[in-house]
Amino acid sequence: MIPNGAEGVRHLATRIITDLIPKAVDAYTTADLGLTIGLLDMVAQDYDRAVDVLISDQNDMRVLFEAALGSVGDQGLAERMSASVAARPTSLRVGDLSAQADTAMRVLIDLHAHVEAAEAGGEAWASLLNLKIWTFIDAHVARRAYDSAF
Amino acid sequence: MTPREDELRSGLSAYLSRQWNTETRVETISRIPGGASRETWRCQTMVGDAMRGLIVRLDPETSLIDTDRATEYRAMDAAHRAGIPTPEPLFLEADLSWLGRPFSITSEITGCQASADAIPDAHRETMGLRKWALLGEIATLDPLALGLADAMPATTVETCAMEQLEYWAGVIAADEIHPNPVAEAAVRWLRRHPPPAAQKLSLVHGDYRTGNFLYTPDGQIAAILDWEMAHLGDPLEDLAWSLDPLWCWQNPGRAGQLLPHAEAIHAWEAASGLKIEPSAFNWWRVFASVKGIGIWISSSEDYHNGASKQPILALAGWLMTDRQQRILADYLSPHSMHRFYEARA
Repeated sequence: MIPNGAEGVRHLATRIITDLIPKAVDAYTTADLGLTIGLLDMVAQDYDRAVDVLISDQNDMRVLFEAALGSVGDQGLAERMSASVAARPTSLRVGDLSAQADTAMRVLIDLHAHVEAAEAGGEAWASLLNLKIWTFIDAHVARRAYDSAF
Repeated sequence: MTPREDELRSGLSAYLSRQWNTETRVETISRIPGGASRETWRCQTMVGDAMRGLIVRLDPETSLIDTDRATEYRAMDAAHRAGIPTPEPLFLEADLSWLGRPFSITSEITGCQASADAIPDAHRETMGLRKWALLGEIATLDPLALGLADAMPATTVETCAMEQLEYWAGVIAADEIHPNPVAEAAVRWLRRHPPPAAQKLSLVHGDYRTGNFLYTPDGQIAAILDWEMAHLGDPLEDLAWSLDPLWCWQNPGRAGQLLPHAEAIHAWEAASGLKIEPSAFNWWRVFASVKGIGIWISSSEDYHNGASKQPILALAGWLMTDRQQRILADYLSPHSMHRFYEARA
């Protein structure tokens, strides 16, 4: 394992700034290296948080699906939510977690559309669930925010 | 000189000699940074006894924006003929035998910059007023009289908004690597709240923002660039895109990093002769962020699956997706603190 992985990646970016950019042969190469530094910083941020982001998303979606199961009349959607609630990570590798989160997210998107339609039909449970879904979406977006100087 | 530069220099010298029917030699050639949708080169040419600067744009292996070079060229040519400051279009070439890819050539405009960060503070306000006045002037042009009817897909004032929405919703669906709940929610919102018919059909630049025009050291806008997403549509589309909070991320109160949003809108209204209808404008500003997400998702897809591994594609795909979905959540979430309230009409 790379010790202190995020820090190690940032050291690579520093090396580009101090040693490689001064030796760049033209403006195009300088610009490419500058962008690469910014990207390495984003990689460092994701290195540190990726598992937390993906598991937090899945936990939050599981709670939403459990809350929705008693209200959603669409049988197919309810079965997909139940399957998502029952699913447990098969591994903690980022690739596997990401694939599982994608599957759950597709269910969440369909649930959101279903809830919006029910809310437009005046169903009170849907208004409450819509607010909860947006709470999740706000958290989902915030978890992925990068701190970047660009 | 790299083998690629040598190859381009040789091909361009032969091409220009034939086009101008006089001995033309490319003396220097260098690639311009940025420009993710095209490969852009600056060259100095000796035409007979005179030096002439040219800009050559080649279709890339893959690009940030999947667009048609003929549309870009003809839109810029039309705007140039109408008196809008643009580089002078010279040649559009589809024959692969010259440079291996299709390309276009314009005159070089010297002594200018495009960087938003490099604009002197003293010129930001006046440049902003000019920027949105020029956009208003573009909205006054008659695209049919300029001969653009056969250069761009036909549309109507009633259908242009939803056609644009379905195009970009399709891009998101086709190119997303991970499902995006914010973009999906925004697309549904736009479908549920269709805007009123456009006040008129205009030439829409499609990517009108600070960074896509050249300016002189004394703050004059010398040329509007990057017409590759030009199309016919509602002039509010360009206005909303130009005011998207993405273009003033570090300073949300200054549209395009130049001046307050209300002043930008006022300058546009005065020059275009149009008045903003708030519900229509608010639809277009949500659309602008959906279109942005479409571009950034497409860029990510290109970076991961396409031939080009340019860092600009990854930066657009990774960082801009994050920011654009933060903007959309700010617009649409019932819990929003409306950090980007300034961008509203």
